[in-house]
Amino acid sequence: VEEQRTRVSGQQPAAPKPPAAGQAPPPAVHRVTVAVLLAALIGAGLLHWTLVRSFRAATEERAARAAMIVARAAADVATAQGAEGESLNAAMSAWQKEHRTVRAVRVVNVDNRSIEASTFAEDLKEGEVPRRMQRPEKPLYDLGQELRGNIETNASEGNRREKEVAVEQKADGLLLIAAPVEKDGAVVGFAQVLTAPEVVSVSVPNPFFAIAFALAPFVVILALSFVWRRGNLLLVAIAALLLLVALFAYRQWAVGSLIGGAEEAERQFAERVQREAGIASRVAPGAQAKANTWDADVHRTPLRVDPAKAVEGQKDAIAGAAYGISVLSLALLLFIGLGAAHRTRNALVQHRQAYYYIAPALVGMLLLVFFPFFYGIALSFTGQTLYNVNQPFSEIWTGFQNYKEILGDFTVIKTTAEGGRAANYENFYYTLFFTIAWTVVNVAIGVTVGLFLALILNTKGLRGKAIYRVLLILPWAVPNYITALIWKGMFHRQFGVINHLIAIFGGTPVSWFEHPVTSFAAVVATNGWLSFPFMMVVSLGALQSISADLYEAARVDGASRWQQFTAITLPSLKPALIPAIILSVVWTFNMFNIIYLVSAGEPAHSTEILITQAYKLAFEQYRYGYAAAYSTIIFAILLIYGVFQNRMTRATESIAA
Amino acid sequence: MSDEPKETRAKGDMSHVPLHIFLVIFTILACYPILWVFTIAFSGKQSLAIVNLPQNPTNADRIRAITPWPETVSVSNFTSVMTEQPFARWILNSAIVSAATTVVGVVMACGAGYAFSRFRFPGRRAGLMSFLVSQMFPGTMTLIPLYIILVQWLGLGSSWIGLILIYATTAIPFCVWMLKGYFDTIPKELEESALMDGASTGRIFWSIVLPLAKPAVAVTALFSFMTGWNEFILGATFMDKESMYTAPLGLRFFVGGFSQQWGYFAAGSIIVAIPVVVLFMFLQKYLVSGLTAGAVKG
Repeated sequence: VEEQRTRVSGQQPAAPKPPAAGQAPPPAVHRVTVAVLLAALIGAGLLHWTLVRSFRAATEERAARAAMIVARAAADVATAQGAEGESLNAAMSAWQKEHRTVRAVRVVNVDNRSIEASTFAEDLKEGEVPRRMQRPEKPLYDLGQELRGNIETNASEGNRREKEVAVEQKADGLLLIAAPVEKDGAVVGFAQVLTAPEVVSVSVPNPFFAIAFALAPFVVILALSFVWRRGNLLLVAIAALLLLVALFAYRQWAVGSLIGGAEEAERQFAERVQREAGIASRVAPGAQAKANTWDADVHRTPLRVDPAKAVEGQKDAIAGAAYGISVLSLALLLFIGLGAAHRTRNALVQHRQAYYYIAPALVGMLLLVFFPFFYGIALSFTGQTLYNVNQPFSEIWTGFQNYKEILGDFTVIKTTAEGGRAANYENFYYTLFFTIAWTVVNVAIGVTVGLFLALILNTKGLRGKAIYRVLLILPWAVPNYITALIWKGMFHRQFGVINHLIAIFGGTPVSWFEHPVTSFAAVVATNGWLSFPFMMVVSLGALQSISADLYEAARVDGASRWQQFTAITLPSLKPALIPAIILSVVWTFNMFNIIYLVSAGEPAHSTEILITQAYKLAFEQYRYGYAAAYSTIIFAILLIYGVFQNRMTRATESIAA
Repeated sequence: MSDEPKETRAKGDMSHVPLHIFLVIFTILACYPILWVFTIAFSGKQSLAIVNLPQNPTNADRIRAITPWPETVSVSNFTSVMTEQPFARWILNSAIVSAATTVVGVVMACGAGYAFSRFRFPGRRAGLMSFLVSQMFPGTMTLIPLYIILVQWLGLGSSWIGLILIYATTAIPFCVWMLKGYFDTIPKELEESALMDGASTGRIFWSIVLPLAKPAVAVTALFSFMTGWNEFILGATFMDKESMYTAPLGLRFFVGGFSQQWGYFAAGSIIVAIPVVVLFMFLQKYLVSGLTAGAVKG
């Protein structure tokens, strides 16, 4: 509102609120100031949000690591207590009392086949500890054997290939961690701890910093706007530069604070190890001897790592996000700064009624048709599969790789293992050729049969026309997936009626879907059956609208029936038939159900059309990126066809006119 | 005058005999798959064969095997597909999804069609064109992103809402073009005089234009219902849970893969198809004119 007021008043030479200089700056300058503030705030805000998310992700990783230290401490307490005996249970209970997050702890001795100590309710229900393990507790024994085996394997191989600590995620986010317990240098069992994730809290950066970084370019532009009255474009350019610099600086600062957070976390880990060592030595003197090895991964490899390396993943995420965010806020700046936002708003206000009516449909279309469309195009430049759906595009970006693979592969004929030659049915050009053949054959059949029937039904004085017409439309009325499944049944090798019919005429039954040619014949028959009524109805409608006088006049002039057909009937059918043909070409080209349900591409994808192939790539091979590229190519083909067809109809229209 | 038509009719009847013979044969051939489905449905068996052929079948046996009449007539396939199989549930799913699709789609399309017909505003042409071009997107192109968005991001897999949203948006462009075409034929003078009398545009739309456009709205609604009712592949992609299947998925379930329950399939097909076939017979003339008109414009 404020801005609009200035804009309106700006038209007049005398401004109502003159700044110090006594004259209002041109409105565009104001606009740039507002634009840079908004763009910077949104950009920095989004970056801040990404940063906070990165901190959270790092915190989760650290929680698991901290829980591991606790479990290792418990194991060393048990080791110091000699891994068995009455006092062990008391020691473990005392140890647990020192930890608020630990819910239960148990020590299992594999050599004795016993549970030496436990505060697990399920263990105590079965009897006092220490006691021998019972049959239902065999999994614990197995776990102990597995850990012992792993550690022996690692020791003999001299590496740490196998896991030496077993971590299990339980319900409600609890962790169940088993660490080995030793006696006289040999593994005899394990200590298992059920614990809530240990929170290693690192203070999340204050949003104030984001605001500060965002305000900097705004202040500069504001100052400039008082000095600078003209040169709107230059001002926009300066604003854009400042914005990018500010966002870049904020990004650097954000990465820095992330590493700072990691350093802080390392200090806390060191402290935690100290504290655990203290507890351990109080409960069982000597248990703290190996405390410096506790901060380790599941292979018991020490984890005192470089803080910068620890947050590598998060750092990359922020850097990647920063590019996107910069582009977004730059676009916003230009959109507002160059006045496009203004014009858009004016149009919106002026025509708001129209936009109200359109809004629901438009929002639906934008969210569920156009957004997915552009998302699909973006997807086509990535190597996304089922297994990396959650990774950001920046990490799986492959550029034109998919397109190169699809369009650059010309091996339509491949050499088989036996040295023979065979068509490569997986090849894009083969499928394209097949799709075109399929479309042409089907449309030709549809038009021929449809037109032929229409001509017969249009015979003057023919009785029962209405009944024939209704019965002949039936194939079109039946939902096409049902048609497809019916024909699939009729083409059955053993029980299908079509093979019975062939047998009556002395032929041998055909395995329809085991050879490309017969398979093609089967799908064409199915599609021909359901597509001729449309052409028949269209032709019939057009035929009925031809005036009988024309034929009368032609007969008077002595024209033959054939001449009448070519000179009157065909030209009169053209305006109705051409759109119908155009439409049925697109329908047949995209006739998914028939191919998918009748032949399913058998044999060996040889009767696949482009669209079923794309579907199978996505939902049977789960190559989302590759399938998206495939679909984009199909769209390009259809678009070219659409433009071409548009030109053609226009040309024919102008000739007709 | 009275002699002439009689004469032509008499002459016509004779010369039409070959035409009738051809038409009867062709019609029987064209209707054969439908007769076949009825035969299997009323056979009371799950078999794909009309009769079981003996070891060395004669031609008479074979002719019996392709004659569309069951060995024993029974309605057991119909009763058991509705009671023993979850087919009633699948039909309910289809009905709910199609009905909701119709409501959502028609409400959205009425507004948009009206605006495109009556108002001149920036983006009108682009909007109309984009609606048309969206019809050209290959199904799989938006299917993959939609799958990722609806199923993996929003968790709307195997839910009515997800399918309704998708069907409604696929039906919208056609409905918008259809309704726009009809609104164009309603004379503007009616609205102008109402405007003179001080009616708001909202009121004009609601109490003048919509009542006049009732036939077109009805036809559009029936088409969007049929879109939802007959759709197969989107449903197959988004509905994983068997209890959430729509009727088309259910029918495929009976005979897809290694399943060979042809009796259930045939009975189910008849139940599902009869309403749409009847509807279609009433609607096909609108469909043809709407489609070809759209194609000429595009």
